[in-house]
Amino acid sequence: MSGHDSKYFSTTKKGEIPELKEELNSQYKDKRKDAVKKVIAAMTVGKDVSSLFTDVVNCMQTENLELKKLVYLYLINYAKSQPDLAILAVNTFVKDSQDPNPLIRALAVRTMGCIRVDKITEYLCDPLQRCLKDDDPYVRKTASICVAKLYDINAELVEDRGFLESLKDLISDNNPMVVANAVAALAEIQENSNRPIFEITGHTLSKLLTALNECTEWGQVFILDALSKYKAADAREAENIVERVTPRLQHANCAVVLSAVKMILQQMELITSTDVVRNLCKKMAPPLVTLLSAEPEIQYVALRNINLIVQRRPTILAHEIKVFFCKYNDPIYVKMEKLEIMIKLASDRNIDQVLLEFKEYATEVDVDFVRKAVRAIGRCAIKLERAAERCISVLLELIKIKVNYVVQEAIIVIKDIFRRYPNTYESIIATLCESLDTLDEPEAKASMIWIIGEYAERIDNADELLESFLESFPEEPAQVQLQLLTATVKLFLKKPTEGPQQMIQVVLNNATVETDNPDLRDRAYIYWRLLSTDPEAAKDVVLAEKPVISDDSNQLDSSLLDELLANIATLSSVYHKPPEAFVTRVKTTAQRTEEEDYPDGSETGNSESPAYGADTGASPPTSSSSVPYAASRQPAPAAAAPAPAPAPAAPVPDLLGDLIGLDNSAIVPVDQPTEPAGPPLPVLLPAATGQGLQISAQLTRRDGQIFYSMSFENNSQIPLDGFMIQFNKNSFGLAAAGPLQVPQLQPGTSARTLLPMVLFQNIAPGPPNTLLQVAVKNSQQPVWYFNDKISLLVLFSEDGRMERGNFLETWRSIPDSNEVSKDFPGIVVNSVESTLDRLAASNMFFIAKRKHANQDVLYISAKIPRGIPFLIELTTVIGIPGVKCAVKTPSPEMAPLFFEGIENLLMG
Amino acid sequence: MGIIFTRMFSSLFGNREARILVLGLDNAGKTTILYRLQMGEVVSTIPTIGFNVETVQYNNIKFQVWDLGGQTSIRPYWRCYFPNTQAIIYVVDSSDTDRLVIAKEEFHAILEEEELKGAVVLIFANKQDLPGALDDAAVTEALELHKIKNRQWAIFKTSAIKGEGLFEGLDWLSNTLKSGSG
Repeated sequence: MSGHDSKYFSTTKKGEIPELKEELNSQYKDKRKDAVKKVIAAMTVGKDVSSLFTDVVNCMQTENLELKKLVYLYLINYAKSQPDLAILAVNTFVKDSQDPNPLIRALAVRTMGCIRVDKITEYLCDPLQRCLKDDDPYVRKTASICVAKLYDINAELVEDRGFLESLKDLISDNNPMVVANAVAALAEIQENSNRPIFEITGHTLSKLLTALNECTEWGQVFILDALSKYKAADAREAENIVERVTPRLQHANCAVVLSAVKMILQQMELITSTDVVRNLCKKMAPPLVTLLSAEPEIQYVALRNINLIVQRRPTILAHEIKVFFCKYNDPIYVKMEKLEIMIKLASDRNIDQVLLEFKEYATEVDVDFVRKAVRAIGRCAIKLERAAERCISVLLELIKIKVNYVVQEAIIVIKDIFRRYPNTYESIIATLCESLDTLDEPEAKASMIWIIGEYAERIDNADELLESFLESFPEEPAQVQLQLLTATVKLFLKKPTEGPQQMIQVVLNNATVETDNPDLRDRAYIYWRLLSTDPEAAKDVVLAEKPVISDDSNQLDSSLLDELLANIATLSSVYHKPPEAFVTRVKTTAQRTEEEDYPDGSETGNSESPAYGADTGASPPTSSSSVPYAASRQPAPAAAAPAPAPAPAAPVPDLLGDLIGLDNSAIVPVDQPTEPAGPPLPVLLPAATGQGLQISAQLTRRDGQIFYSMSFENNSQIPLDGFMIQFNKNSFGLAAAGPLQVPQLQPGTSARTLLPMVLFQNIAPGPPNTLLQVAVKNSQQPVWYFNDKISLLVLFSEDGRMERGNFLETWRSIPDSNEVSKDFPGIVVNSVESTLDRLAASNMFFIAKRKHANQDVLYISAKIPRGIPFLIELTTVIGIPGVKCAVKTPSPEMAPLFFEGIENLLMG
Repeated sequence: MGIIFTRMFSSLFGNREARILVLGLDNAGKTTILYRLQMGEVVSTIPTIGFNVETVQYNNIKFQVWDLGGQTSIRPYWRCYFPNTQAIIYVVDSSDTDRLVIAKEEFHAILEEEELKGAVVLIFANKQDLPGALDDAAVTEALELHKIKNRQWAIFKTSAIKGEGLFEGLDWLSNTLKSGSG
């Protein structure tokens, strides 16, 4: 038998591949074309036909466009697997890129870009170069994209061969599609590079704006995306750009609309005129609303983007809340997003309508949606104080319908409402207690137990209620166990009667001996020790007043929001994650470290600093009140200390100080030598108010760095040490760059120090003012608060000098409405030279001087950080009282501060 | 009816197809010869990275002429084109005496190929217009053509630029092919 089986291995059939090979080499064109079609068909269904590479490539030189396209398709697919043989196609590419037919030229250059084989890229440069300068715009626009592809394969080659310059030239092309593709290519190259390659200048800006109106919708998206990265020089330019772009908002393509919205939002940041901003907001609303009439998938994308937009500019859609009302047939993901936006848009004006909607949703069938609706009511209650009562009544109505998960969700949000408005709505506790038995979810149970413990003194049968939970203590989830423990301790402290006493024994026993959960055990031991050593201290700790909460759930951090807004209409804005979080650039990761010397890099650095400020923002009040604060949030660790120690507040601000100090250690040596002597500083805290401690201080500028020069004088009877300083939010975000370095002060001694300062840490909103509120504390005394003035002169930076031409240009570029002037009738200028010297010492640089009748007119420039220039014109008659000072700046709101500063300078 | 008649006619009196490879070292003048044959013009060329293929109709024979790049890097891929080849045109730059040795080695390596056993060989001693170009006898000597066994071959002095010798070579080729394989 076995001898005959060999027949199965020998076959007369040649198999598909050799057959195809034969057909490909046929002398008949039609047969060859059919064969290539068969090969492509095999390729598309996933068969490996790469072994036919040369045979297919040999069919490449043909006048038949269809055949050519098929071979190109094959090449794109298999060139990577046959990198050596791919070289055989080069000559054909070169020929095709010179074909009289522009379609073939473009096809060749497009395919060349798709073939990612290192060995042949070099040969493709010449054809590409030619095609970039082709007569036919279709070829040029295809070639520009090819440059971006080539850059991805070999960046150096692109730069050496001058393709970037060619691309930049194409921005001025007369065909808008070519412009759009050149912009797209440059933008992509820029993303992969860490050098500034594509920067829009005033010239390219106008080209782009012109092309925008004429090119296809996808071209418009490219241009708008590029424009959104452009930083306009001033508010007026931003307004002009926005004006040219607003017609795009009416486009039928939602990608165009979203990109236009992104672009306008970015430029709006620069626009100062509230009228213009209000108008723009008005214009942006209808297109955004229109997006919501598209398919659900597009609606979802639109909603995710709107969620971001609303967080930055709630006014845009403030009146459009109705379009976010959920339709019964909306998909669940759309409904969820709509709810989120409704919460964000809810206001005192529309809350009644919104509540009606929420109430409706809470009776729908989808459990997740119902839960979210109930939660939304709670969040509105927390957000809108005046509507809280109405929200509560809606919640109570919902509880009455006795649907299990509605009740549970309602109890969770009511707990938050209690925290937000303490001692206001406790009357409803009785209603809540009615549904006690139905609770089966940990979070709801924990919330209810918290309510019982917190208001134990008002609930007559609190002990019974808790007891009912205690029976199942060992089986409960950790969350519930922790709440039960705390609630029982609260109950005991409030009603130290026999029942609770027994309960507490049981609970403490359960939570210490019987449990494996370290959190629970630790908390229980701390309570135990507290209760056994000092019940009064236990009361202080456990029953401490809690800080009021606010609703910040689903609110994005402002620096993240900035980044996401810059990425509107991309996946990033749908995920609400920065692009780095879900895509990695394989190629450039190694180079990223150099990002510092790249302007965009420093840009992001700046945008991060507000977040920084937000962190430090919490610290000033903590210096006085951090103990109860910490205790209420985390009873355990703070309670470990038996009583508030004299200096427990130290860790928080100190740590922050360290952090900031570290961050700036490159600029500021932290161990600033204490300054031995100098001119007397203004006294800000007299010894009479400071219990013997006198503080004098003044902001100064040295070597390009701002310092707070301080002097401490101890006139009290005790040595003082442990000095710390905090600055309140101020208009320039001035904050300490390091910890305050003051040695222990013996009675009757004094010390001086220079505290390095940083800017833009914690910026107070509103119009700028000079107020600098300072808090200083030491280990022996209470916190001292005093006020100082920020002189704008201190902020003037060393790089404020301008060339004459630059000065003139800047002067012209700033609108006349930004010019403010003031007369100082009492000031006499006796010598131009000495005045200029004095100005120069404050980093105000002399530009030019001119005589006007008997008057001297001086032009001076200065600059405050973040590059805001001040162009100054001083007019006076030497020796005669009266100086007129005019200043032109993009930030005219700073002018009063400036006048105050220069007045002091000219007088002194 | 007319179509059938045409087919019969062409099969009887020619219009046969022949697959021809043009080989040789880089810068020997292969591409120039190809286009001189095809269009009758001198075109400006760049080094061929890959191949050119053109159809040349001559003496009732449709030559499918494959001009393959001569760079060292491409020579290994010549073999991809060997199957079904009736004739080889081997082009030599007669003025490039330094590289005649390499030309000879490449040439004999081709002749060794199994797939090219039945192919006739035509040698073009090209660039005769250049000063210092070797004549056909010298090239024959340098390429050791006398070592060729069992194969029809011929050598012609050519100048692709001037168009001299090319069609004489093609005459020989068409006659040989007609008589050879009937």
